[in-house]
Amino acid sequence: MSKFITEHAPAITLWASALCTFAVYSILYKENKFYRFFEHVFLGLATGYSFYLTWSLVMKPRWWDVMVGKGVWAWAFAAVFGSMFYFMYSKKHAWISKLIFGLFMGLSAGGIFREFYEIYFPQLGATMRPLATNEVIAEGPWATTVYVAGVLLFYVILFSVISYFFFSFEQKGKMIKASSSLGRTFLMIGFGAIFGATVMGRMTLFIGRFNFLVNNWAPQVAADWHWFKYVLPILVIAAVAGIILALKKKPVETEEPPTE
Amino acid sequence: MNLKKLQNIDKRILYILLAIVIVTPLFVRPSKHPDAVFDEVQNAFNTIDNMPDDKVAFVSIVWGPGTIAENRPQTEVLMRHLFMKHKKFVVLSWDMPGTKLSYDVGKALEEELGMEYGKDWCHLGYRPAYVAMISRAMGEDFQKQFAEDYNNKPLKEMPLPAKIKSAKDIGIVIDITPSATMGTWLAYFCGPYNVPIVTCPTAVMSAEAYPYLDSGQVSGMLNGVIGASMYETLIGRGNTRTEAAATAWSLSCAHIYIILLIVLGNIGYIAAGKKAKR
Repeated sequence: MSKFITEHAPAITLWASALCTFAVYSILYKENKFYRFFEHVFLGLATGYSFYLTWSLVMKPRWWDVMVGKGVWAWAFAAVFGSMFYFMYSKKHAWISKLIFGLFMGLSAGGIFREFYEIYFPQLGATMRPLATNEVIAEGPWATTVYVAGVLLFYVILFSVISYFFFSFEQKGKMIKASSSLGRTFLMIGFGAIFGATVMGRMTLFIGRFNFLVNNWAPQVAADWHWFKYVLPILVIAAVAGIILALKKKPVETEEPPTE
Repeated sequence: MNLKKLQNIDKRILYILLAIVIVTPLFVRPSKHPDAVFDEVQNAFNTIDNMPDDKVAFVSIVWGPGTIAENRPQTEVLMRHLFMKHKKFVVLSWDMPGTKLSYDVGKALEEELGMEYGKDWCHLGYRPAYVAMISRAMGEDFQKQFAEDYNNKPLKEMPLPAKIKSAKDIGIVIDITPSATMGTWLAYFCGPYNVPIVTCPTAVMSAEAYPYLDSGQVSGMLNGVIGASMYETLIGRGNTRTEAAATAWSLSCAHIYIILLIVLGNIGYIAAGKKAKR
C-alpha cells in the first residue's frame, strides 16, 4: 500500500486537490453531504498540517534542538511562559494567564508609539501640499491648472472628511453640516472602492482554483486518459441537462436558525 | 418580456455563467497585456531597476495558498526582473506553506534563466515572529539571525547571503503580501534605515496603500494580479502567454459580467417600480 502511494504520489495529490475543489464548489449549487464531508476533511487536514508545520519549522529547530541538542536549557522557560496562556481556561488560576497577556499587551503598546511616529508623521507632512510648484509651472498652463485643481480637490476632501469626524460639538451650522455631509459622501466613495477591490480579491481566489483545474489537473487527465476526451463532451452535456432539469424545480430553501 | 424577473435570476445560473466567464480566458490564455501602466507599477519598476548593483534586494513573502492566484504572479514577475537585470536577491517567507511555494517559483526561474543558487539568489526559508525579526535582526545583525537557508545550508558557505551584514547591504524591500504588513516594514526597517520599499498587496489591500504612495513612504506598488500583468509589459513580456495575463483577463471578464448583472438588476428594479405605480 505504502509503495503504491509513494509511486503514485503526484497523481494522488492532483486528483485529491481536484476532487476537493469540486466538492467545495458544489455548495454553490445547494447544500449537500458531499460538500459537508470534504469540509470536515479539509478542517482536519488543515489542523494536522499546521501542527506539523509548527513543530517542524518552528518548535523543533528553534526550541527543541537548541534546548536538547545544544544544551541551552534556559529555553525550558519558554515552555513555562508559553503554558501560562492556557490558565485562561481555569477560573481559579486565570490570573496567571493575565500576567503573560499583560506582557504581550505592553509590548504591543510600546510598538504602537514607534509605528505611529514612523508611519503617520510623514503622512502629516505630506498632507501639507503647495498649490503649485516651480516644476509644475514650468510644464505649462494646462499642466498647472490640472495640478492645482487636483490639490484643491484633495483639500476639499480632506477638510470635509475631517469635519465629518467632529464629534466634540453638535454640528449645527449650515456650513459645517454641508461639509460633514460632503465628507460622508467622499467616505462612501472610498468604501465603495475598497468593496470593489474586495470583490476583485474574492474573484481571484476563485480564479486560483480554476487555474489549477485548467493548467494542472486537466492536462494531466488528458495525458493519462486519452479516452477521456471522448467521454468529456458526454459528461458536459449530461451536466448541462441535469442543471436545466434541476433549475426547473424550485431550489430547496435552507432553514434559518432561530434567532435568540 | 417581463423585465421584473431580472431581479430574481436563479443564482445557480449566475454561478454557471460566472464560471464560464472565468474559465474561458484561462483555457484560451491570451497573450495581450494591459497597454496602460499605472504610475505606481512604473515607479516600482524604476525603483527595482535603479537599485545599485552592490546591494541586495530583500523579497518578503507573506502569502500562502489562499492568495496564490494574485501573489504568485507578482512573485514570479519580480523575481524574473531581478534575474534579468542581474540584481541579487534573498527571499524570506513569513508564511509556513508559502515557504515552499515561493522557493519553487525561484527554482523554476533559476533553471529557466540559467542562474545559480547561492550566488544570484537565496531563499532563507521560514521565520516566525515577524515584528521582532524585522525590528531586531534585519537591521543590526543579519548573519546571527539567518544562519541557514531553506535547505539548512549555512549562509557562510554561499557567496550572496554571506555578504549581507546589516541594513546597509539591502537596497530595497519587496513586500509581497495579502495582509497589512507594509506598516511593520515602514515602522521598523524602511523608515529608520531609509531603505525603499515596493509593496505588492492583493487587490483587497491595495486601496490602503495609496496614502503611503502619495506621501512617498512607499516607492511603488503592484496592485494584485493586474499590477503583475502590467509589470510583465514593462519587462518585455507584453506578448507572452502568462499566468498573470490569463488571470487578469479572467478578472476583467468577471468584472464586466458583474457590471452587466448590476445593470440588469437595476433595469428589473425600475421595471418593478413602474408596475407598482400603475
